[in-house]
Amino acid sequence: MADPDILTTLKILIIGESGVGKSSLLLRFTDDTFDPEQAATIGVDFKVKTLTVDGNKAKLAIWDTAGQERFRTLTPSYYRGAQGVILVYDVCSKSSFNKLDAWLNELETFSTKHDLIKMLVGNKIDQAKREVTKEDGLKFARKHQMLFIEASAKTKEGVQCAFEELVEKIIQTPGLWETDGKRGTVSMNDQGAGASACGGYCII
Amino acid sequence: MAADDDGDVFEITDFTTASEWERFISRVEEILHEWKLISCLCKGPAIKGAYANGVWEEKTEELSFADFKFSLIHIWLKAKDEKREKSAEKESGDDEENDDREVTPTVYGDLMDMENDFPSRAHCLCRWYGLQDFVILTPANNSDAVLGESKIKLLLSSVNIALTDAGCCVPMFVQAHQKWRRLYQGTCVLPSANIEFGMVQLKRTPPQYNHLAGLLDVFKAKMGSVADPRPPVSVAVRFLYELCDWVNSPWSQPLPDFDDEVGCKGFDQLPFGACEDPVCSLSLYCTWPCLSEDMIVENHVYSDLDPLQAPHWSVRIQMTEDPLCLLGEYLSTFLALCHRKETLEQLLSGFGTEMREDSTGDISNALQRLTEPTVGYNLHVPTLTSYVSQPQKPTRKSKDAPIQGELLDQILQFLFPDSVKPSDNSSTETEENTSTVQQPSHPVKELPKQLKSAPVNGLLHKLAVCLCVLNQNNGGFMAVVQIWQEFILEMRYRWEHNYLIEGIEPGPPNLGSCLLQQKLQMLNCCIEHKRKRETLHKGYTGVPESPPSSPYRGPSTSQLSRSLSHNEAENVDQSDALNPIAENDQASGSQSESVAENSNQTNDSKTKKGPGSQKIGSSGESSDEEFFECNDSDGDQLGEKDEDTSERNQTEESMLEGAEDTENQSGDENEAEIDENQSETEMECEPVNISQTGSLAGSMTGSEIQEMVGTDARHSISNTSVLSDSAYKDSFSHKPEGRLALFQDLKLINCDERMYIPVTQEPAPMTEDMLEEHAEVLAKLGTSAEGAELRARMQSACLLSDMESFKAANPGCVLEDFVRWYSPRDWIEETIQDENGVKTEGHLSQRMQIPGNMWVEVWQTARPVPARKQKRLFDDTKEAEKVLHFLSSLNLSDIVVHLMPMLIHAALLKAMDNDDPSINVLKQVIEQACLKASQVTRSPQQDAKRYEELIRIIMQAEIIIARNLSLRSKFTTDLLEREDAQQELEHFVVTILQNSEVPVRGGPMGPAGSVISKLFQSAQRASYMILDEEESDERMDDDEESRLNSSVPNFPRPLAREYILRTFVPRPAPYSKQLPQRMFCSIEEDDFRIAGAFTSDSVFQ
Repeated sequence: MADPDILTTLKILIIGESGVGKSSLLLRFTDDTFDPEQAATIGVDFKVKTLTVDGNKAKLAIWDTAGQERFRTLTPSYYRGAQGVILVYDVCSKSSFNKLDAWLNELETFSTKHDLIKMLVGNKIDQAKREVTKEDGLKFARKHQMLFIEASAKTKEGVQCAFEELVEKIIQTPGLWETDGKRGTVSMNDQGAGASACGGYCII
Repeated sequence: MAADDDGDVFEITDFTTASEWERFISRVEEILHEWKLISCLCKGPAIKGAYANGVWEEKTEELSFADFKFSLIHIWLKAKDEKREKSAEKESGDDEENDDREVTPTVYGDLMDMENDFPSRAHCLCRWYGLQDFVILTPANNSDAVLGESKIKLLLSSVNIALTDAGCCVPMFVQAHQKWRRLYQGTCVLPSANIEFGMVQLKRTPPQYNHLAGLLDVFKAKMGSVADPRPPVSVAVRFLYELCDWVNSPWSQPLPDFDDEVGCKGFDQLPFGACEDPVCSLSLYCTWPCLSEDMIVENHVYSDLDPLQAPHWSVRIQMTEDPLCLLGEYLSTFLALCHRKETLEQLLSGFGTEMREDSTGDISNALQRLTEPTVGYNLHVPTLTSYVSQPQKPTRKSKDAPIQGELLDQILQFLFPDSVKPSDNSSTETEENTSTVQQPSHPVKELPKQLKSAPVNGLLHKLAVCLCVLNQNNGGFMAVVQIWQEFILEMRYRWEHNYLIEGIEPGPPNLGSCLLQQKLQMLNCCIEHKRKRETLHKGYTGVPESPPSSPYRGPSTSQLSRSLSHNEAENVDQSDALNPIAENDQASGSQSESVAENSNQTNDSKTKKGPGSQKIGSSGESSDEEFFECNDSDGDQLGEKDEDTSERNQTEESMLEGAEDTENQSGDENEAEIDENQSETEMECEPVNISQTGSLAGSMTGSEIQEMVGTDARHSISNTSVLSDSAYKDSFSHKPEGRLALFQDLKLINCDERMYIPVTQEPAPMTEDMLEEHAEVLAKLGTSAEGAELRARMQSACLLSDMESFKAANPGCVLEDFVRWYSPRDWIEETIQDENGVKTEGHLSQRMQIPGNMWVEVWQTARPVPARKQKRLFDDTKEAEKVLHFLSSLNLSDIVVHLMPMLIHAALLKAMDNDDPSINVLKQVIEQACLKASQVTRSPQQDAKRYEELIRIIMQAEIIIARNLSLRSKFTTDLLEREDAQQELEHFVVTILQNSEVPVRGGPMGPAGSVISKLFQSAQRASYMILDEEESDERMDDDEESRLNSSVPNFPRPLAREYILRTFVPRPAPYSKQLPQRMFCSIEEDDFRIAGAFTSDSVFQ
């Protein structure tokens, strides 16, 4: 387990409405396969993959969540400590796009790291009946300071790129993944130093 | 070398016989080369204030003379970067000019520069000679010393040779005698001149040199009588006056109240402030920066140097080092408890061993205490306290218990204000107490949200503050242990008697708060859940719908109820949180399974009987009622309406459904449940150690195992064929139950019924450690397909429960119906246009149609059971016991660390209360503390070390605040003559707090200056024993006059005097160049020093 090369272990979440292809995206990323008969996730699922970004090896623990309303009372518990989140919608489903706000709200409420990196992924671009344009997605992502990419778990397009981009961004963000960086300390000693400075003449 | 072969021999010989002395010189030279000090780069005089505020750099090299080790130290003022850049820019243009002009060496400028006289902090050589760049040769060992004239001379000559050889213009000093004497002799070799730095240091000041006149004589004598007329000597003088007596404002810090009688004040607030005056003394520097010798007279009879006439004043405050500060002291003492390794039980047994033997006697003592006459009259005695604290914990009743009687009552009331009987309790004392409880309302300031603690003024806040204060004032760690025990008992009491814990945020555990808070929230969830459960199922017992709002148990004055409480207490004692292991051992170990079952049920019935029995008790029945339902048959009789435990619930279900399930099956299930119970109790008594258990299943927590066992059991019962007939019939064969509301206007697919949303079970609330554990278990299953399958199965309990509820609410429903409600996106509707018109047709999504997928599987397993009859997803009994066990298994050090977030929070609030926005440093420190606090409280490993650092920062803030207070009280505006100067004085206080030496604006005439002179006056008068009142009024009017008339000098004798004499004089001969000469002199009580730098022309001599 303890690979000395591994810079850090990152926790990444995948959230979004049910049936937008969260598990498929993950499966494409981890196993590079696509299963049209991917069963609906119950609760949360979990996969691990090691990724090298800019020469940094990072172990990703990716938590895949169920999108159903009822599960949503349960899954936010797993948001704890995530450094990155992939918010997925289905480009062929306007309603899955419209629900994004609610998902972001939930993220805001339950994530413990406030500077976590968010990535918006529009999935299923291989399909013909597109309901959400790329511009809509871009607009939403810009509004909420997210990374954005369109992808297809089926055709592989954009999937690897999405994860790599996210991890790179996380690693570039100081204080997000380091184990407890000691940040700047204000020195209070300018005062005391006067007395202890060399050769204080009349202060003996 | 290769060129003159003949000389070779001589050179070799030369090297081998080189003396130590020569070797030493060459080494010095070498170092000078290394440091690149050979080029005579000339710097201009430093800008004003640069010596005190600039950056000084230092380089050290070791060298030795024979076997005597020296260090060569180069010290120089780092030029400001911007300045260097500028000069670099100019350099190109200035180069030519520079070449023609003769540049004054740095040393000359330094010696004569008046801008940087008397720097507030600098190296002594810089102070004495005004140098910004110099080298020191000093013995490497602190204990070594160069003693003896000849040795010093030898070193000086060596240095001189080295400097000349290297062409180094930097002055070099040799430290002579012991280091503490700071006696240096130095030399500087310039292209056409030499400077000789000499020094005299004496213990006692020779009377003839104790004034300016005498010093001028010395200086002039050194010049020789060469030049005529001699240019005047310029003089700079500085006097130091010290003020130690702050007559007007003695330090007064309200000490923490040690008196128990005064009420709650003692333990509900963290103290704040310093115990001793953080400001020690004031040094006043009166400076006459640039005088001509003719302008001023100071000799042994007369002096022109009146401090009130000095053009420039500056002030330095000496702070008390590490003043004792209350808040910091309290916090660190409390944190120090972390280092105690004993368990709570060991600590308790410290005063409890002998008491345990005659615990019965002790109980009777306690009872006696209850029946003491005072109790009879004072109905107000907090009954909760008497109930909780006395009979249950006989050990604590020993004389050694640090907190007793009234104080203990007060503390418990403070922590649990709702335990006081509300209305009819008209005793004045209680009212007083409750009012004082409400009094301390912090102005709630916005602490950074990131702080992971608990709500301010909540239970845990109070507890943390209270324990911290008690630890300091009321008996140290034993008091902490005692109150913690009380706390645990109260928690258990509340759980068992269905009283919500006050002062805890409602709702599921807030993961943004600290673990302890989450645990208590969890306990509250359990209590609430239990209440709901009991009101749902136990309406028949006549318990009022709404549970009692106050955990007040009714007056325990009558003999009857007292014995009741006694019995109950013992009852509770059996399941005391202190001894869960023993209890569980008993349950799962030696006894037979059925007995184990029994004892479990006893516990359950006991628990749920709480309010009922209370009612019975108060209505006067025998307290034996407590134990009436202990066996299985009882449980079964009551079973119909008394379904409160999941275990029994299941049994019943299987019995009710006997038509389908054989007797055997139900029997099996019963047995399985007994096993479950056992495993459950085991899980409770020792937290699962994941690393120990190797197997997958073994690494799961009890609940998961239970869940899995549960699902598996169901599996064996269920039929395997997809949507089998029997399952279908099953779903038809019952009346709808547990409907919540209509679901839109949807109708079931297979019949004409409308679809209802069922009442569902809430998912179990979790604290962060549970979550972590759970997530870890899930992650441990790995990423294989089997792992994922198992994971899904483990989490399908919620799905199963919802499906069962749905089936119960919608008889005749199919999976399609369920999916339409539960996962609408998996229901695909298509509009089909055929000959009959437009028609919508729906079907399950592809993934839901996969045969054997989890959803289908679980759907088949699910039986129509309304939520309230289902196996509980959230087992409140178990979770509550877990929390209680968690609490009682904490060590003293754990308790301290767990309470630390609240304590830090309270301390930060306290510091912010006392914040003064005008002080920048303070703001910085508090901000830093907040940042650090958020880091420390949020870090997954709660570490005492890091709390120590944090407390240190808070202490800094406290000290600054105390200093500020002290300074403000000393420089009060009362002493001001003009009202409008108030702002100026405040500014003065703020700057003096943040800087080491502060110039007094306006000197003695400014507002701050006048206040300072008054302070000196009153101190003087006090020391001369003159009463202030008589004269003060007149003095206010004409200060000037009274000062002249008063027999008492306004200022004490100066503590130290410094003189700098400077002139340009040709030396050594009248025809030599005019060169800078300087003499510094400092006169103190027991230190007299003259440091002279005399330049002599080396060309025209």
